[in-house]
Order: sequence, then structure tokens, then C-alpha cells
Amino acid sequence: MSQLVVRSLEHRFGTSDVLRDVSFRVEKGEFVSIIGPSGSGKSTLFHLIGKLYEPTSGSIELNGAPIERGMISYMPQNDSLLPWRTIVRNIQLSREVNGQPIDEANLLEWINRSGLAGYEQAYPHELSGGMRQRASFIRALVSEAPLLLLDEPFSALDELTRMNMQRWLLSIWEETRPTVLFITHNIEEALFLSDRVIVLSDKPTVVQRSIRVPFERPRREEITLDAAFIRLKKEIYNELRSVSH
Amino acid sequence: MKRLIAKGWRPVTVLILLLVLWEGAVRQFDVPNWILPAPSVIANELIYGADRYLPHIASSVQLALTSYGVAVLFGLTVAITLFRVESLKEAMYPLLIISQNIPVIVLAPLLVIWFGFGMLPKVIVITLVCFFPITIATLDGLRQTNPAYIHYMKMIGATDRHIFWKVEWPHALPSIFSGLKIAATYSVMGAVITEWLGANKGIGVYMTLASSSFKTERVFVAIVIVIALSLLFFACIAALERYTLRWQEGGRR
Repeated sequence: MSQLVVRSLEHRFGTSDVLRDVSFRVEKGEFVSIIGPSGSGKSTLFHLIGKLYEPTSGSIELNGAPIERGMISYMPQNDSLLPWRTIVRNIQLSREVNGQPIDEANLLEWINRSGLAGYEQAYPHELSGGMRQRASFIRALVSEAPLLLLDEPFSALDELTRMNMQRWLLSIWEETRPTVLFITHNIEEALFLSDRVIVLSDKPTVVQRSIRVPFERPRREEITLDAAFIRLKKEIYNELRSVSH
Repeated sequence: MKRLIAKGWRPVTVLILLLVLWEGAVRQFDVPNWILPAPSVIANELIYGADRYLPHIASSVQLALTSYGVAVLFGLTVAITLFRVESLKEAMYPLLIISQNIPVIVLAPLLVIWFGFGMLPKVIVITLVCFFPITIATLDGLRQTNPAYIHYMKMIGATDRHIFWKVEWPHALPSIFSGLKIAATYSVMGAVITEWLGANKGIGVYMTLASSSFKTERVFVAIVIVIALSLLFFACIAALERYTLRWQEGGRR
């Protein structure tokens, strides 16, 4: 059974048609990237999945039931760690909000595993951008929600940090296998990380294509130089070019 | 300590220079004490006249602290209510501004007519003066919350209550403390001024007694005490601020 089912989703803001007939599924344990021209309604799609507002029409189901607020966990583009909370207290925030019990030992273990040992009691401003994003990812992960939404989480990082973060994210994901929906505008990032890449069109948005990424896991960085990888990258690039004006 | 000296020597030098000039001028031109006493005369009164003013201090401090407490409670309550209920804010905000344009000097006699010479009218006047900076600072702080935090909280399903206590309130704290510090100095001044209205005890009473008997050096002693109390009160709030906002340390630099 699919974890997330989005069925002919349509959304309008006033007279502006943002989403028109967006349908796709995400299987349990699958890593799916969504890529599209800027302003293609990717954020609107996430807001709808997060139930910030109701879609004009269509439905979103999680585990076979209509999605409710607070069912997903979320990692935003800017880390959004609260500056007045220490790292460990930031990480427990999602559990706190959902009224889940807080297992400090488990949190500390996650902090350790993401190379943030020694920073448990530090405040976010004392960490580098990459470290903050790792903390932000763990915060999403420990809420144990059935779906993880990652909203361009690495777009504000420098290239080197970004590549390190992708590798790190992949290693954690391959271990824990959460269901992930990942927004990005970086084709290479989408291909390197995901099982499937969904290409959205420009507004009003439809699903342009869904491309299965055939590379085996665990993935190594070298595959980005693989001929097949580059071919796929080109294909998506052309697809994107054809839909954006 | 080193930092204090490094930063403090300039104003301290200016202050000393000013006092020396003052002392010199009074002696040179033979100014009578009841017009302008020399700093040395004031210092003398400050040291040897302690019996005369010490009993007044406690009463003023009590009045200032009580009113400050009421003002903090009232100021925060008003700010939070106006922030949470948008329509109320639209209705009340202009009134709030108007309340600050009523001269306290005019209001004070009215309050005495209604409530007599006890503590109550004084507390009301000081509260009216002090709650405003707290309310405005709190409202500003709450309103300027980074929308990214609120967006994140909404995405993970936080309720308005969560968002308020976990995000907006802590976010507003630095701003709230600026309001609290301003109100702290106002409260001391307010206490002295309201004591002029009529009271048995207090720095304000000491001041009126001194000026009506032309003991001008005692008026200056009263001024020194008011300044000292204000600074002390301010420093207490500032210390509380540093403790509460220690997450800002370093972030600010």
C-alpha cells in the first residue's frame, strides 16, 4: 500500500491557478524528489500536504486515511532552529508539539550519530550552517512521522557542505528508510538521492513526468560521473527547459 | 572589571570635571547655599544627614516596586490580549496612544479627588506611566516574530497556543526587557512625583519639605537618591535580562 497518495490535486489562490491536477504516489520507504521550475507551486504542494490550508479540490491520503495536520515531519529550507533553545531542546520540539514522550537518551544518540556530539547544550548560532541542517534533519527524523517533507534543505549551503550533507543524509536514510518527499531545484541532487524524480510543470502545475532512478543502493558519489547518470540528468534538464518559459 | 575601566573612564572624567567646575564657580562667585549649594555641601548633607532621608527611602521604594509590579502585569496582559485578538487591537490601539497624551499632572488631582491621599491613586498614576513602554515593546516583539519559525511550527501541526508559548513569547523577550527597563526608571521617578501630591513619607515628601524651607542641598540629595535608585533598579532588570537571555550572548556580538 502506498504511504502517500495525492489524487488530482487542484489549488487556486483567488483567480491564480497554482496547481491543476497533480497526482502521484509515494511508496513506504521510498525517497521521491520533486523538481520543477521556480514558482511551479512546489511550496503550495507542501503546504497542502502539511494541511496549512485545504485544496480547492482533490485529496491527499496518508496510510489510506485523509491527511491531518501534524501527521508529517518537516525540514525547511532555512533550518528554523529556535535560537533560544539548545540543540537538544530544539530536536525534541517536534515531539513536544505532538505530545509524544521525549526519550533524552535516544535524542543524544542521534546527536552523536550526526557528528554533533559536544554541541548538545550549544545554541544554534554557535553551529555552522551544515551542522544546523543536520540538527534540523534529526529534529524531523525523531518525530517518527510516517512522512518526511524536506523543502530544499540544502539550497542555502555552499557547494562543498551541500555535497557532504547529501552523503550524510543518504547514509542516515539508507539505515532508517523513512518515507521522504524532497523538494529541490538541483537535478543532480535529486538523482543522487532519490528512487524516483517527479518533474512538475510550470503554473498551473501538472505532473510532467515521473522518472525512476535505476541506480543501486547504497550509492556512492562516483555515480554522478556515470554515463547513465549524466544521460538522465540531461533528460530531466531538457524536460525542465521545455516546461519553463 | 578591565572592560568597565576601559569603557567608563571617559564619562567619569567628564563628571569629575563638571563637579570641580561647579565647586569652583560657587566658591568664586560666592553663590549662597539656598540658590546653588556646592557639591561639597551636598556630599556633606548626603553623609551626615542620612538620618533625615533614610526613613523616606523605604516608603518610596515600596511605592515604586508595587506600582511597577502592577504595571508589568497590566502591560503584559494588555499586550498579549491585543496581540491575540486582532479586532480588539484595532479598537484599542488608538485609545492606548491617547492615554499617553493625557498629562499625568492633570490626572493626578482628579485621582486624589476620587481615591483620596492613600496609596491607590499613586499606584494608578505610576502604572499609567509605566505600562505603556511595556505594552508597546511587548506588542512589537510579538509581532516581529520570524515568520519562518511560525511556518515551521504550523507545518508540524502546532496549535496557536504552542506557537505563542514556544515561539512568539520567547522571541519577544528581548524586546519585552527593553520595555521593562524603561518602565523601571519611570517607576522611581513616578513614585517621587506622586509623593508631591501628598504623603506622609517618601523621597518626594523629603524633597518638598527641603525646598519649602530653602534647604537646597537637601533637594540635591533627593535628586542623587532618585538617580541612584533608578540606576539600581535598572541594573537589577538588566541582570535579570542577561540571565534570561543568555542564549543571546555571543549572538549579539
